[in-house]
Amino acid sequence: MIEVRELTKSFGGTSVLRGIDLTLEQGQVLVVIGPSGSGKSTLLRCLNVLEVPTSGTVVIGKARLEFRADAKPRKADVLALRRQSGMVFQAYHLFPHFTALQNVMEGQITVRRTPKTEARAKALQLLAKVGLADRADAYPHQLSGGQQQRVGIARAMSIDPELLLFDEPTSALDPELVREVLKVIRELAEEGRTMMIVTHEMKFAREVADRIILLDGGVIVEEGPPEQIFGQPREERTRQFLSLLLEQGSV
Amino acid sequence: MNEQTNLDIFTDSFLPLLQAGIAFTVPLTLISFALGLVLAMLTALARLSEFSPLAWVAGFYVWIIRGTPLLVQLFIIFYGLPSLGILIDAFPAAVIGFTLSVGAYGSEIIRAAIVSIPKGQWEAAYSLGETRLQALRRIILPQAARVSVPPLSNSFISLVKDTSLAATVTVTELFQKGQQITAAVYEPLLIYCEVALIYLIFCTVLAVLQRQLERYFDRYSTV
Ligand SMILES: Nc1ncnc2c1ncn2[C@@H]1O[C@H](COP(=O)(O)OP(=O)(O)OP(=O)(O)O)[C@@H](O)[C@H]1O
Ligand SMILES: [Mg+2]
Repeated sequence: MIEVRELTKSFGGTSVLRGIDLTLEQGQVLVVIGPSGSGKSTLLRCLNVLEVPTSGTVVIGKARLEFRADAKPRKADVLALRRQSGMVFQAYHLFPHFTALQNVMEGQITVRRTPKTEARAKALQLLAKVGLADRADAYPHQLSGGQQQRVGIARAMSIDPELLLFDEPTSALDPELVREVLKVIRELAEEGRTMMIVTHEMKFAREVADRIILLDGGVIVEEGPPEQIFGQPREERTRQFLSLLLEQGSV
Repeated sequence: MNEQTNLDIFTDSFLPLLQAGIAFTVPLTLISFALGLVLAMLTALARLSEFSPLAWVAGFYVWIIRGTPLLVQLFIIFYGLPSLGILIDAFPAAVIGFTLSVGAYGSEIIRAAIVSIPKGQWEAAYSLGETRLQALRRIILPQAARVSVPPLSNSFISLVKDTSLAATVTVTELFQKGQQITAAVYEPLLIYCEVALIYLIFCTVLAVLQRQLERYFDRYSTV
């Protein structure tokens, strides 16, 4: 289970997250939507502790960490919490000096201390799952954007995280490559993976989400099942945001 | 008649010069560069460390070495330190001088290479649960190595030539040997050109090795 309590994050004087409360049951998919600059990436990065939250509590699986403005968290606690979630980046950030296979083995070998043969077998299995069994020995620069992102997903899953985080996983992709990545994420949802996804693909959000939150100005403006958010949103702000997207033709 | 003599002098002096090169110039270069690289790496890491006294000490060292002539540094080590009761033989004194030099300039190259690796690479490593040290060792340094090969190769080739400064602290390396032979046969143009030729041969071999190393790193692309 994932729990976030009164999470805040400021950069210098600007507060970007202003008290986020969230609960996510195992196997649920939460989609995060909201205008640019609303703090979506920051929220995900805080859960993966790529940004250290200013205050609040994060519980993911067995790890629980309380952040305080007046004290740095202990490194061991940060690592423990971070290892509960896997991150899929908008720009993939694959390791360019490793093959696809090595990218998916890296976390297992270095972090999990899994024996090499075992790590390799699991990496191959994960690559097969994202449809890339035949590209295991390719370097990232030899792969298309969609293929790279699927390796990114396999890599994030390789450490068996409680929670998978996706920060606009398809935004950097050409339209014809978006579908292959969304298909993989949809399959993971069907398998019962717990996931948090930031996306502007509203059709996909509607299909895959158990719940959707709309973030604006660092607070959750509205939270509910997709039928509510897209059918009868309760907040004026949600309506505005969706109609804006509608104008841009992405719903 | 005269030309015949010149050719004799050339062939007679070639072997002693090459020997001096192989016995002193090459080991001086290799040892100083190897030790210097280790020092450069440690210095670069110290300067990037979150522990500020360490970063400060490293920065101070680089500042001193880069801001003073290598020749003066060698003189201080070989001729100056004995006044403090520290006597170092010529060869180790030269090794110390060149190592400190490679360490300082090399650390700047390595630091720049580390900083040039995109932040996303650190984050991807962290997101897998790697520690800072693991991320550095597994992800950042291998990529930084690739970036630093051309500038470090340049330093290496410069070092081969800079070792001629060791002549001033009585190491009988290639250049010093050339001076000795010149004093005996009095053919400065011929002998010094010969010395230059042998440096050129050493540097050419290195340039070939550099190209092979770069080719090895070209197996992947970062773009
Ligand atoms: N490292 C940082 N330092 C300072 N300000 C930051 C930093 N990271 C993010 N911000 C600011 O925090 C706010 C929220 O950024 P964030 O990236 O979380 O938004 P977002 O909802 O993901 O936007 P987008 O849809 O454009 O990706 C922005 O105003 C941004 O400028
Ligand atoms: Mg973002």
